[in-house]
Amino acid sequence: MTTLSLTINGRKHGPIDVRDDLSMNDFLREMLGMTGTKFGCGAAQCLSCAIIVDAPDGTSYTSPTCVAPAVNFDGKSIRTVEGHAKDGQLSVLQKAFIEHFAFQCGYCTAGFLGEGQVLLERLSRAPVAREALEQTIADALDGHLCRCTGYIKYHEAVRDVILADSKRYLVATK
Amino acid sequence: MRPSRREFVKWLSAGGISVSLSHLAGAANAPFAAHETLPGRGNFNPATKGAGRVDGVAKVTGAKLYASDFRANDLPGWPRTTSHAILVRANDATHVYTGMDLAGLKGALKPSVVVTAADLDRVGTQAPEFYAGDLFCPPGKTPLYLGQPVALLIFETFDSFDQARLALRDGTFVRFGEETGPVMAPDYGSYRFTRVAGPSPEKPDVYSPLQAGWVSPRKLQTTALPVWSSLAKEMPADYAKAAKLGEQIRAELAADDASLLVLDREFETQSVDPMFLEPECGLAWYSGKGGNLELVLGVQSPYEAAESLAFLLAKARAPYKPTQINAQFAHVGGGFGGRDHTPFILYVALAAILFPGKPVRLAHDRYQQFQGGIKRHPIKMRSRIGIDRATGIIKAFAADHVLDGGGQANFSANVATVAATAAIGIYDIPKVDVTTVALHSRGVTAGSMRGYGALQTMTALEALIDEAAGELQLDPIEFRRRNALKQNGRTMTGNPYIVSVRTPEILDKLEKHPIWQQRAQFRQASGDRLVGTGVACVTKDYGAGADCSLGRVELGPDGRIAIFCDHVEMGNGIGTALANRVATHLGAIADEVSIARVDGYDVLGLVTSGDPYTMDQKTQDAAQGNPRWVPRISSATSASVGAHVGTHSSAEAARVIFRFGLWPAALELWRIPKTDARARQWANASWQDGQLTMPGLAPLALPALAATAHARGFVTGAIAHSFSRWAWSRARFALFGEPYRAEIDALAIRRGSGRFERINRSSVKFPPTDNNRIGTAYTSMCGALVRVEIERATGALRIAKAYSVLECGTALVPEVVIGQSQGGFAMGVGYALLETLPPFEGGPGNGEWNLGRYLVARGSDLPLRDLEIEMLKPLTPDEPPKGMAEVVMVPIVPALINAIHDATGHRFRALPVTSSLLKGVLA
Repeated sequence: MTTLSLTINGRKHGPIDVRDDLSMNDFLREMLGMTGTKFGCGAAQCLSCAIIVDAPDGTSYTSPTCVAPAVNFDGKSIRTVEGHAKDGQLSVLQKAFIEHFAFQCGYCTAGFLGEGQVLLERLSRAPVAREALEQTIADALDGHLCRCTGYIKYHEAVRDVILADSKRYLVATK
Repeated sequence: MRPSRREFVKWLSAGGISVSLSHLAGAANAPFAAHETLPGRGNFNPATKGAGRVDGVAKVTGAKLYASDFRANDLPGWPRTTSHAILVRANDATHVYTGMDLAGLKGALKPSVVVTAADLDRVGTQAPEFYAGDLFCPPGKTPLYLGQPVALLIFETFDSFDQARLALRDGTFVRFGEETGPVMAPDYGSYRFTRVAGPSPEKPDVYSPLQAGWVSPRKLQTTALPVWSSLAKEMPADYAKAAKLGEQIRAELAADDASLLVLDREFETQSVDPMFLEPECGLAWYSGKGGNLELVLGVQSPYEAAESLAFLLAKARAPYKPTQINAQFAHVGGGFGGRDHTPFILYVALAAILFPGKPVRLAHDRYQQFQGGIKRHPIKMRSRIGIDRATGIIKAFAADHVLDGGGQANFSANVATVAATAAIGIYDIPKVDVTTVALHSRGVTAGSMRGYGALQTMTALEALIDEAAGELQLDPIEFRRRNALKQNGRTMTGNPYIVSVRTPEILDKLEKHPIWQQRAQFRQASGDRLVGTGVACVTKDYGAGADCSLGRVELGPDGRIAIFCDHVEMGNGIGTALANRVATHLGAIADEVSIARVDGYDVLGLVTSGDPYTMDQKTQDAAQGNPRWVPRISSATSASVGAHVGTHSSAEAARVIFRFGLWPAALELWRIPKTDARARQWANASWQDGQLTMPGLAPLALPALAATAHARGFVTGAIAHSFSRWAWSRARFALFGEPYRAEIDALAIRRGSGRFERINRSSVKFPPTDNNRIGTAYTSMCGALVRVEIERATGALRIAKAYSVLECGTALVPEVVIGQSQGGFAMGVGYALLETLPPFEGGPGNGEWNLGRYLVARGSDLPLRDLEIEMLKPLTPDEPPKGMAEVVMVPIVPALINAIHDATGHRFRALPVTSSLLKGVLA
């Protein structure tokens, strides 16, 4: 057993004793009841289980939770799909996913949302040129599987958020 | 825990068990119901302005929606702790199963309960006919199929379960002894479809399944495959007649006739997994000692699930026999047919029954889902086509199909018939003879999956058509145009489609598209990079021939609308489609849409009997004398019926509310007396921005109309049931002194804020039982173009550009139609190029398959920026919606095969065409 403390969506959890081989996915879903993070394959291939990890240096990245032990997240700060909306207000990307009809069954949505959010935040720190945008989005989202949509509307939603605030996400063109 | 009178819907007499497909008493405000009713009163509804789905907010905020999201402590009245079960499956089907070695599970890892075949004997369960066979393979027998369950292991705590499943991961604890070879079992069904047209399109057919019925050869147990000959001994007379004509057609194709181009080709398709992202899951709690069995499930067929559970336990002995079964149904994380009639739910129930007093969760992981989930049928096909060389007109077609149905019958016979009747695709062919047989094997069970047989046979056909066009030196689109079935032309079963046939329009679109126009310009048949273009055009039936829906619509005094429907949301957007379709009658988007609800219609008092597919006319005529009788009460959300059937009853209920609620309210507000001619002109009224408008009269807002309807006791709610057997049932009801006719067969209304009251139909016309001879009468067309680039050195294929054009009548939610089309395209690409499961020992039944090994199309496999989807506008503003969820995945598959041939000169006759296979032929 290991004592685990972490911050989820800005709220501290723990210290709590967990088995060393308990997956982060089961920690969230079974111990905390936070089932917004999904279980898809248990092999880090579909990434419907992905969450955001906020690093101390201000950067963020996504991590699968199905194959990662919960203890790996000790001391870390993470965000899950339940934490994207603030004070009852949906995030820009959440709104874009809805407006673009980006998802169908919605089981992969939490993973795409986390990945898209990390991309937005990365681009806000390190913008890319407009001509590199499509490939940047494609590279970012390619690890995520969706069986319903064919991915296009997810990509369009992310792209439209970026283009709607191009000064923030794209390198200024002369 | 008994359902209240209001919530009580349908009780099935199943050996004394009361089956309530309802929510728990007082569940109206319970968390589960609240979660499943979207978006919820007062909550933001993106659909209101057409800017999203009714389930949009719930899905982007991680709300508990799916069966896999719920634990016992989420459900009111349940114990707080959840126990967990593992369903152990056989990973061998050629040796005798001898039992499990659980010695590796020590201490806390020991299961609290082990459920085996012997326990089921003790309990007295019975397997529903649809899942015939041993629910658990008993020790001493060879498993009927790979993945057959052998036991349930139940653990009281999550930690015990979690550690045990890791310890058992490699499956070696399931022990086998003597080699026996696979268990042999009879085939699941064999049919012959033969049609000989008359001398001209206007003349009656010489012979057709519509005229003569569907025929099967007599089973000969000494042969692996049916003996199709009409001369075989003791063949049924009806079969012999079809077979004689069929063999004449084959003889004509085999004759040495220089005027006829005859191609004789084989094609083989593979087994694939639906790969819906949410593995199957369920939660159940049996209070014990004859109390209630409560379940939370996620299936495409809730009514069937409840019936099967009732049958399972109908003869159970005390104390295992529940008094009542309450099943609640959740959103589904993908279905694609794989959750339609799934036996998984039986094991969820058994886990609870054998661990009374404790809520038990049974959830597949992905390995288990591959091992036990329903698969698509692999089909081996041999097709012969004869074409008049002078005219390019197809004269005859014959084919033989052999389907591998895997371990249980499931829908194999149905898939075989759909595959067979789809075998001539969009074409008008005067002489057709197709045999089909679905075989048992030791493979994982195959059943319903998007495309349902038609995907396989139309892929083979469209590859054959492409080859024939090449042999005749005809343009492939022109060849298709010459032979396309026209409106009112007869299908293989001898009936015409009763919906629009827009093949010519689609072929025109394909022909004019730049991908096709530029095919010669882009083609590269030599060099390091090969480029080719392919085309295909298909049609796919929608509906299963006995489809129905239940719908309840309520209008509040403030104008708020609530909709309840028995069909299931599995991503298909049915909740939003319901809201939109009801809005055409009531002028506003509902703010409560509750799907997968099989409760709430009890006032209709529906009863049913017999099998809607096989009953004769006399039986139906006698049964319909009971005004509460219908051929079927509820059907699965499958066969692309969501838009067409799933929304129909709710739309008709809304129509009743408008006609007998809002319209009389409007007359009052406009002060138009009943004697005024305008009082009968409700058809001239229309909704604009939430206001009911009528030429020359002041617009009326919905809240004002609703308030008036409530105050005056007009109709403010309606419940309807509808049934379709390639045509809707039609009934007449006496409403407010006038006969009201509608395409429904049962109706209840609510006046003001009163209670719902049943309106017994005064007459009814159900579709004739002879319609069961129809293959399909509903169909949607879709065409595809694709340009591929193939690297000679590696065989890597890139889809450079693609175009898909479809027709679907009125699109209830156009954005969802486009999204489903894009998703269908992606699934088609995966089927054509990536996905495959080996049969038998190396296949998924061994429990070792997961993503990574099984390849599903990712974004990088698809032309995300170069896929164009075009949806044809409906022919008329009121054209009903057509099913399109399946057809959109079909044509891209043969189009890819044809494009690969265009680029490489090699015609692949098996799927998938992987990069390694391409590399092999290009070496």
